[in-house]
Amino acid sequence: MHNSSRPPSPPPPGSPGAPVIHVEGLAKEYRVFDKPEGLLASVTGLFRRTSRTVEALRGVSLTVGRGEFVAMLGPNGAGKTTFLKLLSGIITPTRGRATVLGHVPWERSDDFRRRFALVMGQRNQLWWDLPAAESFRLHKEIYRIDTPRFERTRDELVELLGVGTLLLRPVRDLSLGERMKLELVAALLHEPEVLFLDEPTIGLDVVAQHALHRFLSHVQAERGMTVILTTHYMKDVAALCKRLVVVTQGSILYDGSLDQIVDRFTSHKIVTLDLDAAPDAAAVARWGFPAEIRGPQVVLRIDRARISEALPRILASAGVRDVSVEDVPLEEIVAELFRSGSGAPPPRPAIAAAGAGGGP
Amino acid sequence: MNRYLRIFGTFARACLVRDMTFRANFVLECVTSLGWMAMNLAFYLLVFTFTPEIGRGTGWTREPFFAFVATGLIVNSIVQALFMPSAEELTEMVRTGGLDAVLVQPLDAQFLLSLHRVDFSSFANGLVGVGLLAWAIPRLPQAPGPGALLLYPLLVACGVAILYALVIMLAAATILLGRNQSLYDFWFYLTNFSRYPAEIYSGPWGGPLRALCTFVIPILLVVNVPARVVAQPFTGQAWGMVAGAVVAAVASLALSRLVFQAALSRYRSASS
Repeated sequence: MHNSSRPPSPPPPGSPGAPVIHVEGLAKEYRVFDKPEGLLASVTGLFRRTSRTVEALRGVSLTVGRGEFVAMLGPNGAGKTTFLKLLSGIITPTRGRATVLGHVPWERSDDFRRRFALVMGQRNQLWWDLPAAESFRLHKEIYRIDTPRFERTRDELVELLGVGTLLLRPVRDLSLGERMKLELVAALLHEPEVLFLDEPTIGLDVVAQHALHRFLSHVQAERGMTVILTTHYMKDVAALCKRLVVVTQGSILYDGSLDQIVDRFTSHKIVTLDLDAAPDAAAVARWGFPAEIRGPQVVLRIDRARISEALPRILASAGVRDVSVEDVPLEEIVAELFRSGSGAPPPRPAIAAAGAGGGP
Repeated sequence: MNRYLRIFGTFARACLVRDMTFRANFVLECVTSLGWMAMNLAFYLLVFTFTPEIGRGTGWTREPFFAFVATGLIVNSIVQALFMPSAEELTEMVRTGGLDAVLVQPLDAQFLLSLHRVDFSSFANGLVGVGLLAWAIPRLPQAPGPGALLLYPLLVACGVAILYALVIMLAAATILLGRNQSLYDFWFYLTNFSRYPAEIYSGPWGGPLRALCTFVIPILLVVNVPARVVAQPFTGQAWGMVAGAVVAAVASLALSRLVFQAALSRYRSASS
């Protein structure tokens, strides 16, 4: 039916760490019609509409192994949700191929759909006017879960999240955090092998976020589930994932470990000095690094290659009481990535130098 | 099949629970639709004070006509109760992206989207229809034979199938258009034609209209065929109509399936 639906030679299933999700050059374009302002233009628009093509995803390739917990990070409109919708088979791609658990998602086979789950933080999948217990019962029928297994899984999940008292309350009477927990229970009842989480922590308070983090990492580890999580929040990533995929404007900008992103995209460290008294700006400037003076505290951005040379010199200055050397915060790196996200990685001049212990 | 029945049972149960949560609303809905129907019946009674028959020589005198009206009530109430709320909600689901959740479930999407809402208050009219039919049958000029009575439920089912196919195709248009607020209006215009005996469509305008509503959009078969079988003498011509209704029902269902699948594969999904 679809030209693009031939599976790209699926890997042997079942083997630990074998690719569960395999994506090659996946692209999705939408044709959108411009709605001009004003009455006359609207009437003209009835007869002749101007359309343009929006590329939500531009040829993404990715392989995810069994049991991996991957975070997908990107600004609004980066294509994260589109990516998950394609992998869930909700929409069909314009180009490219994908298999999830050996199936082409947009063929929507029941065998495939029984083995994964999708949770969208901004959508409600439980019956609004009814207690969640009713939605769970429906789930049991739809996913053909036999009664003992259903009860065991439900009780286990409910206990882990501490939502036993909420099961019989109409969903519309619950708070967002409570509802999200029950959404997760519903999604996990059929023990999916693959779980797609689309911004599950959006709008949640810190306590609820923590609860979800603990729950997700526990269940994921216990079941060996393969999870892709999209989010705006670095906290989610740091708490849950080892692997990070940064997406902007429909392309992958970075795909690798959480630790490496720091090495790869920053050339400096943050050095914070606590001084006896507020320093003289001219003296700080003489150190030769971008600096910010906050009362008796100075924050310097020092090239990694020059740290060993610069630190002793700076510490030798009078009145330094304390010093800390830190990596650039992840948020800052990612924000920088988002801003620069034109598809090309940002310049990274000093990395080779840092690795080699000296500059060219 | 068994599983689908159980799932439908779960939907129906959930809707009943919800209806009972908002009891006053439920009662009000029943009363409104019964009131509207009572007004219609009173109007027809009024018409029969001016004329003994609708159209000369058509056989639609008072009791047969009320059997016709009863059939219309039964068919329409089944469609209104079982399919209409789901079809209307589909419009909303496409607009808000709620359809996404349906598409990821290992279940036939057309089944789920056609039947996940049941409006129990709409059955009220159908019950009145059954009562009206029970009143009319012993008073008919010629009582229906056992064959006609056996065929009747089958033909009602055909009528429901034809209307269902129409509703679901209109709803599928929602998926393509992104929004289809006029669904209910369009539905009302179409079914309006099915409410009256086919004989009233005659003459230079009526003839073509009757042909259109019989062969192209077969809504004239929906109420007319079962009503005629039960309320009028069963002739050789009636067999042709019975066959026509069955063929039209099967063809409509098949077409609706094709249209629905095509629409689903073009689903764009609302941005979140």
